[in-house]
This record gives sequence, C-alpha cells and structure tokens, in this order.
Amino acid sequence: MIVQKFKHFQREILNNLWQFRARNVFSVTIICLSFLIVGIFVSLSNNLQYTAQQLSQDMAVVFFLNKDISPIDREAITRELEKSTLVQKTQFVSSEEAIEKFLIKFPDLEGIVDNLKLNPFPSSYEISLREKNLTYEDTQPFIDKMRGMKGIEDVQFNKDWVEKMQSLSRLARSVGFFLGGILVLASFFIVSNVIKLNVIARKDEIEILRFVGGSNIFIRIPFLTEGIILGALGGILSLLLLFVVIKLFPLYLGSSLGILNELINFRYLTFSQSFALIFSGAVIGLFGSMSSIAKFLKS
Amino acid sequence: MIELYHIWKQYQKPDWALKDVTLKVNQGDFCFVTGPSGSGKSTLLKIIFREIFPTHGQIVVDGRNILRISDHKIYRLRRTMGIVFQDFRLVFHKRVFDNVAVVLQVLGYPRKELRRRVFNALRMVNLNHKMWEYPSHLSYGEQQRVAIARAVVNNPNIILADEPTGNLDTELAYEIMSLFLEVNKKGTTVIICTHDRELIRHFGKKIVFLYKGKLLREENI
Repeated sequence: MIVQKFKHFQREILNNLWQFRARNVFSVTIICLSFLIVGIFVSLSNNLQYTAQQLSQDMAVVFFLNKDISPIDREAITRELEKSTLVQKTQFVSSEEAIEKFLIKFPDLEGIVDNLKLNPFPSSYEISLREKNLTYEDTQPFIDKMRGMKGIEDVQFNKDWVEKMQSLSRLARSVGFFLGGILVLASFFIVSNVIKLNVIARKDEIEILRFVGGSNIFIRIPFLTEGIILGALGGILSLLLLFVVIKLFPLYLGSSLGILNELINFRYLTFSQSFALIFSGAVIGLFGSMSSIAKFLKS
Repeated sequence: MIELYHIWKQYQKPDWALKDVTLKVNQGDFCFVTGPSGSGKSTLLKIIFREIFPTHGQIVVDGRNILRISDHKIYRLRRTMGIVFQDFRLVFHKRVFDNVAVVLQVLGYPRKELRRRVFNALRMVNLNHKMWEYPSHLSYGEQQRVAIARAVVNNPNIILADEPTGNLDTELAYEIMSLFLEVNKKGTTVIICTHDRELIRHFGKKIVFLYKGKLLREENI
C-alpha cells in the first residue's frame, strides 16, 4: 500500500510541477536570485578569510638593525630574542643577503641597484612567531621592548594587516547575511504566495480529496514535496549561477582593480556552505508550502 | 445505520437551517429527502458526512458518534461514504479515469486492481469508452455519471447525493436514478436530496419531508 501511495505521489508531483510550470519557474527564479546574493557575499568573505589566513601563516616581525651596530648590541638582541617565549624561529639576514633577496624578487630593478654606490638595505632579524592567533596585547610588550633596544632602527610587523583582513571578512559575511537574510525572507513570502496560488488553483481538487477520504498527510505530501523541490532547485541554480559569476568576474574586470583585484575576488563555496545553501532553499520551500496549505486543510 | 438525534443547525442568528430533526435511516435503505429550496436538505447531508457540525444534537453512523471523531481522523468516516454533488465537483484538468481513480489512490490500491475497479465503475455508468477523455469534453449527464462512478467505485456503505439530477432532463434523471437503485440493490444505503416530485413518486421507498428546517413527516412506501 505504501509503495502504491509513493508511486501515486511521484506521478502527482511530476504532473503538478509540469502543469504549473510558469509559476514554478517564477518561484525557483526568486529563490535562486536571493541565494545568489547570499552566495556572492559568502564567496567574497571566503576570499578575505583565505587572504587573512595566508597572511597569518607567515606572520612575522622584522627588526631592522642600525648600519653601525656594535657586536655587543647585536649579541644583546640575539639573547633577548632567544629568551622570548613568543619567538619560534630567528633568522639573521645580512645587508648582502637582503639585496640578493630583493634582486630575486625584482630582477628588473637590477640596473638601479648596480648604480647605487652603497647598499641601502640594512641587516635584520626575521622572527616567526610561535602562535598564529596572538592578540595585540600578547605581542605589543615584546615589540615595544625590542624597539627600545640599542641597535634596532625599525620594526615591521604584519599582524595589523591580518587583523584588518579578518575584520573585513567578518564584515563581508555579516553584510551578506543581512542583505541575504532580507532577500531570503522576502523570497519566503513570495514562494509561499506562489505556492498558495498553486493551492488555490487546486482548491477544488483538495476539497474532493477530503470528501473521498484523503487524510491530511495524503493531501499535504505532494504540496510539501513540490515546495522542497522548488526550494532546493533554486539553491542549486544559485550555486551554478555563482559558479558562472566566479568564472566571468575576473574576465570582466581584468586588471582594472589593480592590487584590490586580489581582495575583491570570489572563492568557491565550501561543500558545507553549498549544502547549507541548498538545504536552506529546501527549508524555505517546505515552510512556504506548509503555511499555504494549512488553511485549506482545516475542517 | 444513520441516526440523527435532535439536530439543530444555525448558520446565522436568528434563522435555523435545521430544527430538531430526528431521523433514522437503516442499512440498505433508499431514502429521498425532499422539500422546497431552503428547507435544509443540503445542510442535513453536509452534517451526515461532517462537512459541518450541527449546533445541537448527535449523529451516529454505524454505531459511532461522528461528532466525536477528531478532524484528523474524519477521513476514515468519509472512506465509507460516496458523495455525489449537484455541481459534480470533478477535477477538470484530470481525465475521467483519474477523477474516478482518486478514491482508490487515497486507499493505496495496487495499480492493476485500481484500473480494474475504475473500469468496472465506468462500465456500470456506461462511460468506459470515455475513460481517457477530460470531463470538459463530456455532456452534463455524462459528467454526473462520472461523479456517480467516483462515488461507487470503492463499494461504500453509504451514498449521499445532493440534487444529483438538478441540471438534467427527465430521461437522464431517470437513467441516473436507475444507477442509484442498482447500487442500492447491492446493500448500499442511498440518501438522495431532491425536490423532483416525479422522481420521488417513481423511485421513492422512504421519503423524508423537510420544510423550513423542520422534519414534517416520513413515509415508507
């Protein structure tokens, strides 16, 4: 009996999806566009998060030394660095090594370097920090102490960038969820109304089903399943559209954004994010159908 | 058996659609409920299949007080009844076959058995050759016969028909009444609401007269 009913539902759902295709396409489009907006912001946020992670992986402090630093002062600095619990690795880079590194990174500028009479690069200590998630309060006393030592000319620390990137990523995600949330809510009402139109169009059919002994579950299942299918379909289509956006966006903008190109970039959603998107679509469809059909089933 | 005890129904104050109706219809009866428009015939039928609740009174169908059945279980009562409406209530975007089959789909009949039963029901009303047509392509009389086929396809204990010949000419009306008689011969209780005196005279066995919501008299012929 259950198999027969299952087959009946299958036929009913396919028939109804086809019969009311214009309305169904409309609701799928609404869900798809709403989720596309959410997807774009999540993708953007993913990219910022990724950039922040990359930066935090090589979170380093560079202590540039005075040209005329005495061996005693250098020794004192070395000792201080070895003593610190924050330091994971210390590497001394002489001014010769610094110029070599520079030329490897920027070979086109070799002529300029050759024309210089003096080596402009100071020697330095490059420090890797032990923990990646250190806060300002954790690191600042150490940095300040080192900055005050004799022989240290300047300090370069990229933690600020990491933090900025992370907060930007959080901002992008919040904006995405806020705008997306509004759109998703709007799409919920639109979908529930579209399904309500379907239900109204089939009001007589529902009434007949009730008179011939159809249980509420029997009547509800096709409508709810249709809602879930439409919602999930909207979610899947939004992912496909997002894929197209991610592919086309760099081609459209080219290098016009310059250095911002790396930041305003789209990264594919993770598997769990994609699943959550499709799942949310299905839930919207389900609740949309539930709210639409409820009043028609009241005795 | 259908038993109605002191049924009162009020849609809007101060008028009463039914006033203290007490009635007993036995299993296998062929009963006409008659009276002028507004006498409460349709209300009586709606109360029996519990589309509406009476304001006062009790109804017992096959030993069960149907007013105590919860809303989500009322489908069990309706599965024992076949209902024919004056306006047929067919689904026009579905074929004749599907209109009749819906009753058996609700019950989860296997496809093969379902086809056999639907075919037999449509053959009984002489419409098996129009099984795959849409109701809109059928005449009034044919549409009403589809509605009857739908009502009898699962061999219900009770058939309730509200003005089933209201829109039909005399010849078709007789044809349809003959179908109800045929079903009744198999032991099904049939209750028909009509104000067609000719039909009642010709087919009537048990007649219930309603007037302004009151049961005037019962006649057993």
